[in-house]
Amino acid sequence: MGNKDEKTIKNENSGISRRRFLKLSKDMIVGIGAGGVLTNLVWVKKGIAAIPVSEGYLLVDFKKCQGCVSCMLACSLVHEGAANLSLSRIQIIQDSFEKWPDDVAIEQCRQCAEPACVEACPEGALTIDTKHGNVRRVCKTKCIGCMACVEACPFPPSRTIWNFQENHAQKCDLCVNAPFWEEKGGPDGKQACVEVCPVEAIKFVKETPSQKGEDGYKVNLRGPAWRLLGYPTD
Amino acid sequence: MNGYAGKILRVNLTRKKTFIIPTKNYEQWIGGHGMGSAIFWDLVKDKTIDGFNPANVVTIMTSPLCGTLAPAASARTEVQGIGVQSYPISWFTRSNFGGRFSSMLKYAGWDGIVIEGRADKPVWIDIRNEKVLIREAVQLWGLDTWKAQQKIWNEVMNSQEFNKWMKLRSEDKAERTTQKPAVLAIGPAGENLNRMACLIHDASNAAGQGGFGAVWGSKNLKAISVIGTGDVKVHDPKGLIQARLEQKKKYAFDMKNLKKNYMTTDFQSPPVPGLLFGFPPGSKRPKEGQRPQACIGCHSGCRARFASGLGNEASCFATVFYFAAKTLDIQRHACDLINKYGLNAVEMIYLLQYLKVLNSKRVLGPGGKIDCPLDFKGYGGLEFVERFVKMVAYRNDGLGNNHPFGDLIAEGTIRAAKKWGRLDEDLASGLLPFPFWGIPVHKEPISQLEWGYGSILGDRDINEHDFDWIKVDANIAKIYGAEPQATAEELVRIYTDKMEPFQGDRLMLDYSTQNMYSEHIAKLVAWHRYYTRFWKQSALFCDWRWPDFLNLQAPGKIGSTGVAEPRFLNAVTGRNLTFLDGIELGKKIWNLDHAIWTLQGRHRDMVHFAEYIYTKPSRGVEGPVLFLTGRKDGKWIYFNVLGRRMDKGKFEEFKTKFYKLQGWDTSSGYPKRSTLGSLGLDYVADELEENNKLGKE
Repeated sequence: MGNKDEKTIKNENSGISRRRFLKLSKDMIVGIGAGGVLTNLVWVKKGIAAIPVSEGYLLVDFKKCQGCVSCMLACSLVHEGAANLSLSRIQIIQDSFEKWPDDVAIEQCRQCAEPACVEACPEGALTIDTKHGNVRRVCKTKCIGCMACVEACPFPPSRTIWNFQENHAQKCDLCVNAPFWEEKGGPDGKQACVEVCPVEAIKFVKETPSQKGEDGYKVNLRGPAWRLLGYPTD
Repeated sequence: MNGYAGKILRVNLTRKKTFIIPTKNYEQWIGGHGMGSAIFWDLVKDKTIDGFNPANVVTIMTSPLCGTLAPAASARTEVQGIGVQSYPISWFTRSNFGGRFSSMLKYAGWDGIVIEGRADKPVWIDIRNEKVLIREAVQLWGLDTWKAQQKIWNEVMNSQEFNKWMKLRSEDKAERTTQKPAVLAIGPAGENLNRMACLIHDASNAAGQGGFGAVWGSKNLKAISVIGTGDVKVHDPKGLIQARLEQKKKYAFDMKNLKKNYMTTDFQSPPVPGLLFGFPPGSKRPKEGQRPQACIGCHSGCRARFASGLGNEASCFATVFYFAAKTLDIQRHACDLINKYGLNAVEMIYLLQYLKVLNSKRVLGPGGKIDCPLDFKGYGGLEFVERFVKMVAYRNDGLGNNHPFGDLIAEGTIRAAKKWGRLDEDLASGLLPFPFWGIPVHKEPISQLEWGYGSILGDRDINEHDFDWIKVDANIAKIYGAEPQATAEELVRIYTDKMEPFQGDRLMLDYSTQNMYSEHIAKLVAWHRYYTRFWKQSALFCDWRWPDFLNLQAPGKIGSTGVAEPRFLNAVTGRNLTFLDGIELGKKIWNLDHAIWTLQGRHRDMVHFAEYIYTKPSRGVEGPVLFLTGRKDGKWIYFNVLGRRMDKGKFEEFKTKFYKLQGWDTSSGYPKRSTLGSLGLDYVADELEENNKLGKE
């Protein structure tokens, strides 16, 4: 877990071990209610609801990534049935001329405890999938293509991505619905990006990472084997 | 057919017009080299033209696998056309580079690019999905390859921040990407028609051989940029992801159980950069923060990026270009210099060494018989190498002043030696170690026979490492007293069992002197020509990761070659191609290339090595020993091959055996109609006949 021990992260995440409390305005309650996702929320008292946290997360090590974008190719392949970097839910951004480690960024969906994308959707097309470990998902048939969720994601590049081929939003579902893969996905299954990464620079965990900053999601996955190959591990 | 974008971009620079060639017209060739040769054949009516002729056509081709999840087969780009480097004839030739270019071209909706004509002033080609513009390159001309690429990035993406989604059009819901355009560019060397000039993509992906940088320069083409947001359609997505994950599990390195911690040129290699910094006497790896860097889709990167940024993405020859540098950092700077100026690292090494020897003989130097403005007292320093690179790239004295020396050496080593009246003498003595077609030595040709014969029977240093690891592994074992990956007998069995249609002929890997001119070695060379022409250069499996012959991860050490290549190709395309089908197609492509060389003037009488190969005992190019497989007293062993000579008469006998195996006329080396007809190349036979170049039956 990077430079942080589990205790530190637990403290940072206190109160969201299972649920994240969400203050909702009257308008938002109406909006969410109309969208039909009330089942996702646990009402604590009037105006305050709790969103259950995801039971799965992707952590990455951008200092280890070799920039092959196999994760992106696998993501689009198992979800779309084609290779397409623009439709991948995980994005590798790199610059040949930059200095390590600033030459590569891995930007994956954080399955946020407070998912701005879910909150932003006026149609309830973004849901907490309680049947599949509370993964934050887009229902593309409900999506009206307003792009509010794409714009709401506070982490550039937006992790809720715009499918310009079919005019709807989409996001990482931890491979819950990967129609072009025989494996079971989701928090209790496998994730294509994790499975395909040649250097084990992507890791699936059940524990909620620190929601503050990026340290909880961008971690050190370089072990002794990495050192044996001549790369730094600190 | 899946895996294809469906169209090839044809650009006429003279008319500044673009056209579309339907890919289906050439799908029988699958992709890459096969398509490139077929397109070249169709478009270039007079194949005897010089590489600088505007009618020369340069093809830049992808394969159905480019941009897909096929491991180490997603990222290569094949470049072909009449080159300007080889001697005495600038053959129709090929080069190949990795990185992101071919995949991005596919995402943009193109299977390849065909360049013809010559622009009246410098231009670059701007490809954004379907939209293609031929744009003025006034602001780019004169820039090095790195600055040119960065300037194009900013131009294409309108200086948008690279950590955000970038739209390709202004509409809110337009196509978008986080990726940078993939740019292929020439540097000052190409602009100045230097015969050693390369095409460079990103920091250090180079189409190095052939002098294609100069060909582009002659066409006034500075760069091609491509950004794409589309799909590469896959016939069997489930099959492809399953194949990839199984290939990883069964045949790739295992991070939890590493068998080796150094790079090898095979599938099982861990992701360690192929650096030769510090060579000789040994490899040095910079001690600083770094990562492996891989081409698109590759399971095992062979390059690195560093905390200092020095030598980013460089590998192999580029890293050893200035091996005499006083410090590692100077060597890394030198490596970046040849990438920025766009120069062929291999020939630059040998050119510099040649000049240095002539200088030490007091033949060459400031005011000398050969007036060279370089002061060799500074050899090993940064200032010296900067001046040398600029001198070559700008054709001057390296300081911005006109000088005939710089102008001459930009013609390449062989042509400079010819001008100085030294060529025959220095090729005979081996002072110029350029064994074939005016191209510098790479692997020792009298030892690594498929390399030496394959190059002289072709058009260039083949630079195909398929059998090279036999030597490297055996050398390591002998020098360090370690166990080789397999016994010689085991290795020969595993390799030759996979070499359809000659499988099982163990003597194909008997490199002993008594076997080196045999029919068995002819089969080895033939199989190698076919495998590489199709699986590596047309389907575009990477040379450093394929084939997968012997693999320590696999049961019985039997790698995946023969099964894996068609599995990936068929999963993507929906074809039902067998490994042998690919080999047969490789034979067809090899015959088409040979027909082009024949029209260019190839005759068996000119197919001979430089004189030193016949008169001087072989010396190690990469070390003092060179162990290969062979038989002694009926047993397979690894033995040191170095020290033998090539027998000129026996080599002629070998050529006859090889031509016979190919179905070519043994007296001339010309293709026969019957052979071409059996390959479906009757139209090729017709053109040869019209030019009196058809072999006798």
